Amino acid sequence: MLSPERRPSMAERRPSFFSFTQNPSPLVVPHLAGIEDPLPATTPDKVDVLIAGTGMVESVLAAALAWQGSNVLHIDKNDYYGDTSATLTVDQIKRWVNEVNEGSVSCYKNAKLYVSTLIGSGKYSSRDFGIDLSPKILFAKSDLLSILIKSRVHQYLEFQSLSNFHTYENDCFEKLTNTKQEIFTDQNLPLMTKRNLMKFIKFVLNWEAQTEIWQPYAERTMSDFLGEKFKLEKPQVFELIFSIGLCYDLNVKVPEALQRIRRYLTSFDVYGPFPALCSKYGGPGELSQGFCRSAAVGGATYKLNEKLVSFNPTTKVATFQDGSKVEVSEKVIISPTQAPKDSKHVPQQQYQVHRLTCIVENPCTEWFNEGESAAMVVFPPGSLKSGNKEVVQAFILGAGSEICPEGTIVWYLSTTEQGPRAEMDIDAALEAMEMALLRESSSGLENDEEIVQLTGNGHTIVNSVKLGQSFKEYVPRERLQFLFKLYYTQYTSTPPFGVVNSSFFDVNQDLEKKYIPGASDNGVIYTTMPSAEISYDEVVTAAKVLYEKIVGSDDDFFDLDFEDEDEIQASGVANAEQFENAIDDDDDVNMEGSGEFVGEMEI
Amino acid sequence: MNTSVTSIKLVLLGEAAVGKSSIVLRFVSNDFAENKEPTIGAAFLTQRVTINEHTVKFEIWDTAGQERFASLAPMYYRNAQAALVVYDVTKPQSFIKARHWVKELHEQASKDIIIALVGNKIDMLQEGGERKVAREEGEKLAEEKGLLFFETSAKTGENVNDVFLGIGEKIPLKTAEEQNSASNERESNNQRVDLNAANDGTSANSACSC
Repeated sequence: MLSPERRPSMAERRPSFFSFTQNPSPLVVPHLAGIEDPLPATTPDKVDVLIAGTGMVESVLAAALAWQGSNVLHIDKNDYYGDTSATLTVDQIKRWVNEVNEGSVSCYKNAKLYVSTLIGSGKYSSRDFGIDLSPKILFAKSDLLSILIKSRVHQYLEFQSLSNFHTYENDCFEKLTNTKQEIFTDQNLPLMTKRNLMKFIKFVLNWEAQTEIWQPYAERTMSDFLGEKFKLEKPQVFELIFSIGLCYDLNVKVPEALQRIRRYLTSFDVYGPFPALCSKYGGPGELSQGFCRSAAVGGATYKLNEKLVSFNPTTKVATFQDGSKVEVSEKVIISPTQAPKDSKHVPQQQYQVHRLTCIVENPCTEWFNEGESAAMVVFPPGSLKSGNKEVVQAFILGAGSEICPEGTIVWYLSTTEQGPRAEMDIDAALEAMEMALLRESSSGLENDEEIVQLTGNGHTIVNSVKLGQSFKEYVPRERLQFLFKLYYTQYTSTPPFGVVNSSFFDVNQDLEKKYIPGASDNGVIYTTMPSAEISYDEVVTAAKVLYEKIVGSDDDFFDLDFEDEDEIQASGVANAEQFENAIDDDDDVNMEGSGEFVGEMEI
Repeated sequence: MNTSVTSIKLVLLGEAAVGKSSIVLRFVSNDFAENKEPTIGAAFLTQRVTINEHTVKFEIWDTAGQERFASLAPMYYRNAQAALVVYDVTKPQSFIKARHWVKELHEQASKDIIIALVGNKIDMLQEGGERKVAREEGEKLAEEKGLLFFETSAKTGENVNDVFLGIGEKIPLKTAEEQNSASNERESNNQRVDLNAANDGTSANSACSC
């Protein structure tokens, strides 16, 4: 197909202030919005692209387009950034729950909220907490991490490591044996199991090239493959599929599971002895803000509290609730939650993600690696008393991540189970976590001074008489103090997938061609709601698909070249180009009607 | 003697067209004797100055226009140690807006943030422009709210350096020893991962083959 000529990027279109200095070799720097000429006090009359919704996908897209040279207007009907990816205070959550239940926020249902009086009128304030609507972890080797570095958005953010991935099994949270070294030294593993695990790990790192091993199992389940081909038993199979691969159920196919398991393994030791990172102050909400800021620096216009009312593809004019209008020469991109009234083209959101967010008054540091504030707990199929068929994933964040105060902890639970069983599974997982925490807390004998005595040289001796008495009088402690519980069902058009596939994000390709009289959203493109995927993998793929629809090619997606004095001076700093994409999405989307796209673009 | 470096995140606030960005550009481009070449990226402007044998590295965040429609993100304010609230001495509306920004900072930013109120464009007064905001009004607001106060001209450079030196002097600077012990204490509590410090492919491969 004919690729449209790439418009000069913002950095090429306008010379930097420093081009006029006496610097003999001016740095290749982008124009900083507002530096040279004051920006207009009103929104633009005409833009290339209008984006409604400041979630992760929309924000990454806005930044890519702004730096590519497109004139972008990016709005959100909320008074905060993030939309479906937002990080919210408790008061903002209260308002959000009311909006969900009165139907003014689409794609969410059945929101139920409990807030303790300790938040607000007690020892905690609403702003002490930053609650994510779609919590996520960032693998060290991933598309998004490469883009964070390339775009310099990471400089707005702070990241911490995530080492501990626990598997819930037999009422215990087993910590993963992550590394080859740990496998060798694990006393509980038989030697044959160790050999089989090492054999599998060697295979999975280069699995695509070894088709003779996995191809016969391509349409069969991963558990069959691991059992028959590598003689692994259930504990290892479950860890590989659910805690390392973060898959959802036992039906996952072999290629998908292998891809996900390799994602974990190749992310290890990139930044240290851990596979993943978390951003402080919030997850996707923080990253959305960072990409929005980057887009603004690159020339995009931002307006919160701006609600889209309609778009007319004939006149190419979008109308907003405050009466203002803008002519959009290329595309209107809308998040489903920002769909205007009388919209007819919102894609069907037929899949459910059930989420429960709890705040517990307990530091809960036993589950974290030393110096860390995050952990993953996975409840494999069959591990809960509800007889769960789908995984329940629990992402745990402590005070060190700055999303909650000292002495408290946030539990994000989610499942891809559909219907009423989902809430049963999540409740069972919550109860299991609560009981595990209570058991660990009650084992602190050192806290009881009557039982413990110190000898002269400082050694601890347990007073056996006192201990016996204490056990006789043992009464289970009170249940945990929950400060906050938020349950909701989120709907999405993206199925729970094994591997991010760009075709998932083409749901409204046919819809674009239809014109429905009276519809307020003819001719727009809808983004997708977040799926259950705990990593950011879907974000980059979705943004790239949209970028290609607008620009005609994704060749210059975040094709940026910033020079940095610190970066040049530092030795051995990895170049973003060296990062392999953890998810292979090089295949371009089949551009049906691409001639039509070319015709529509005014370049 | 070991010279310590203190990083300061400084954010700009003020109505559009009051010249807040020009103040920064004047600052970072000025031929300060101790200054290194300013560094620009997509994130923020940086500039180092030496104050009383301490090196202060300013990380100066511009609004990038997001303030125009009340659309600044919480991340803009987070952990900012200093802020410039800029108004135009020839435009009383911008001074009214400056009051709003001071209030916004007290609500959004950390409690111990150092705020400098800056009346800009005093060069216009010599060119026939009429002063609309008396110096005393600025001084009064600054005294009320506990702010530093300056009147500047980004065009001529008058008082621009004083703004940043004044902020730098007010930031509590640590000696090298204090800074080392503080950073050790901080690192043991919350390790921060530097995304620019990835192991390259070679060491990753060697780690796998162990």
